[in-house]
Amino acid sequence: MVAPEALDYVLPIALILFSSAMILYAYRVFRGPTVPDVVLALDTLVVDLVVIFMLVTLYYENPYLAIGVIPLASWVFLLDIAVAKYLIKVKGGRK
Amino acid sequence: MIDIILFWLGCLLVVLGGILDVVAAIGINKFNNFFLRLHAATVGTIGGSVYPLVGIALISLSLDTPPTFKFYVAGVSLVSAAVIALISPAGTHILARAAYKSGEVRPEPIVVDKLAEVDKK
Repeated sequence: MVAPEALDYVLPIALILFSSAMILYAYRVFRGPTVPDVVLALDTLVVDLVVIFMLVTLYYENPYLAIGVIPLASWVFLLDIAVAKYLIKVKGGRK
Repeated sequence: MIDIILFWLGCLLVVLGGILDVVAAIGINKFNNFFLRLHAATVGTIGGSVYPLVGIALISLSLDTPPTFKFYVAGVSLVSAAVIALISPAGTHILARAAYKSGEVRPEPIVVDKLAEVDKK
């Protein structure tokens, strides 16, 4: 039989790892010298947030916490396209 | 029996994904160029998010919870893992191309720039 009490140890360890990674990514977001650096760090930050949502859903066994996950995962692509279009249209071509 | 294998495989994937994510976060701070940081970001998205989402799906399939919760969480995890695996590399490539073409980021240090030679012709 499965030992579900092992989840009480595995999920906090995973949450600690993902939270510390998110802090390091946030440091790059605030420090990043150019716009593409900031957007790249934001991408990884949002994708980590998806995993943290699912871990918390599994920890509290509450399915309503998982509603916003798929739109959040799709939002990354919209951010990339918007910033890339801004960079090419407004900043102009390479001199 | 299959429950135990799925459960521990899922736990292994979740913890491995957390370790890979911390490694990617260290790398994205240590590298000193945007085009090098793209590699660390790939480790952070594929290794640090797609693996744990698949692991969460396996864990929730192996638990003794009601089937509505079990299959709902597994389905959401697998769909979002597929969405991230399809979308994240495409978005990163779009961003890298825009950063190069707009001249916002200088690829330095550099030995040879074939793209600039193509643009000149």
